[in-house]
Amino acid sequence: MTKMTRRAFGIGASTAAASLAAGFPSFAQETTIVVNGSGGALATMITKIFEEPFAKETGIKVKPTAPVSLPKLKAMVESGNVEWDLTELNGDDVVTATKAGWLMPIDYAIIDPDNKLPAIAKQPTAMVRASYSTVMAFRTDKFGKGKAPQSWADFWDVKAFPGPRSLENSPKGNLEFALLADGVAPDKLYPIDVDRAFRKLDQLKKHIPVWWTNGAQHVQLLIDGEVNLTSCWNGRITPLKNEGKPVDITFKGGALMLSYLGIPKGARHPKEAMRFMKFRMDPVASAAFVKQVPYPGFVPGMTELLEPAFAATLPTSPENAAVQFEFNSAWWAENIDAVTTRWNEWLLI
Amino acid sequence: MLAAVLFVYPVFGVLTLTVHDGTSFTAEPVRQIYTSQLSIIVLQRTFVTAATVTAICLVMGYPMAYFMAGLAPRKRVMATYLILLPFWISILIRTYTWIILLGREGVLNKALSALGLTGEPIQLLYTPVAVHVGMVQILLPIVVLTCLTSILDVERDLVKAARSLGATPRQAFWKVVFPLSVSGAATGGIICFILCLGFYVTPTLLGGRTSILIANLIDLQVHKTLKWDLAAVMASALLLATFACLLFYWGLTRKRSEFATGGLAR
Repeated sequence: MTKMTRRAFGIGASTAAASLAAGFPSFAQETTIVVNGSGGALATMITKIFEEPFAKETGIKVKPTAPVSLPKLKAMVESGNVEWDLTELNGDDVVTATKAGWLMPIDYAIIDPDNKLPAIAKQPTAMVRASYSTVMAFRTDKFGKGKAPQSWADFWDVKAFPGPRSLENSPKGNLEFALLADGVAPDKLYPIDVDRAFRKLDQLKKHIPVWWTNGAQHVQLLIDGEVNLTSCWNGRITPLKNEGKPVDITFKGGALMLSYLGIPKGARHPKEAMRFMKFRMDPVASAAFVKQVPYPGFVPGMTELLEPAFAATLPTSPENAAVQFEFNSAWWAENIDAVTTRWNEWLLI
Repeated sequence: MLAAVLFVYPVFGVLTLTVHDGTSFTAEPVRQIYTSQLSIIVLQRTFVTAATVTAICLVMGYPMAYFMAGLAPRKRVMATYLILLPFWISILIRTYTWIILLGREGVLNKALSALGLTGEPIQLLYTPVAVHVGMVQILLPIVVLTCLTSILDVERDLVKAARSLGATPRQAFWKVVFPLSVSGAATGGIICFILCLGFYVTPTLLGGRTSILIANLIDLQVHKTLKWDLAAVMASALLLATFACLLFYWGLTRKRSEFATGGLAR
């Protein structure tokens, strides 16, 4: 009961504060929320398209920080010194953080008052911000004319597609790719047959000189000719292809992944953070953002604002979504400890 | 006081993590490390890499220092500047340049295939070879400079005396200069060895999957697996190993100064 009243009081107080703030802008200007994201070029876009207009409209300033880091979230919440008001998170990190109690519940009455967001975007402790895809990228100039790898089975086929390859230094996604290459149907991937996946990975181990650890690295490896094929994040290759570099991706067998926004437990300005989340769901701003960074979320009314030809290149377009599999964060959060230990022993010894 | 707050307190915090899980004392992290094949192998690899890099640095560095000791003072200063030059460039940048030089489409491979020596590009980058090359380049100046000071410490008159008593230049070197400067060279070697144990950037950027060292494994436990207790045990093991090397080093320098003051004065 007390909980209910306190919460009700909290909402009431914040509404009162918000209406006061509207009358006296100087009050609201005191507030600055800290939003943690991936940094880099992405952060510049977010500042221009979301944060600055938000500050203008509400008087709440936004201070962006980077990078996204689960250990940092753990350290902040456990030490009681929470700097972030909002942070990006990937799917299995959301599951881990929720289980550990590092995230606050989200009040969708603030973010989505008209209930327009699809249910998939609304998790109790995190909201889907974007979707991206881990797909296969390859050099178009290395395998002869008109010959391009089209599936993970091709990725494993070192005779037809010779040369070094790279994969991410993480079991996530790679076990699924191995199973797809071994002939498992995309809808039969989970629960993952870990032994079978590792046996398939064994075949490719000596053809992988380097395992990438971040998005900039896989791009560099491909452009430098260090590898001929690699797994990659879909948004990184399109700009290079547009520059005329001999690289391409295929969405076939790609892992469709979701990226979330969550509020750390103990955050100083949770209400303001949720108002910013609402602002991030603005369809016009989201469409402008996606044109720069091809990682779309589930913002209702956004797709209608995009050119159909462009919308077709996004990971969530119906044609692309149909050939990918949905990455199962819950399975991974459940099994990540055991699989990571095995992965490290398999990889590093 | 400041040192106590900034260094001892955090180190103590890390050490507590190895035996305390937040609520009670436990031997679990230590046991896990002790039974984990991965950490044992990586720890072994770290020491082997440190030893080979140190050996390469000494084999290359000592003759270089000996050559410099024989130069006229003005030329020696120039040579010292040249040795110190790489120190002004960050380790990160020096390591990245190796990526450009050693890559499959890098300078070295291009040159080799242009000379018709190789058909397929050779895999140099992301191998233990690349890690050794990168580490030697960074640590060699330190070894050269410590060897140089110890060679310069040897009285020139002793060489002249040996020569006047009939020693050939080779004998004068092996019987006089080398024994008197070898402990100084060993000091350089130990400094180099200790620095090797903590290397992180070079194996990350130049190494493949089997070149990661203990610092990389600690990073993995902190950032990827979130097992901070295991990271703490590994960090403590590294700290202990470093202290052991330092003790050895102190023992060595004490012996050396005894020898220099007692032995030479006698």
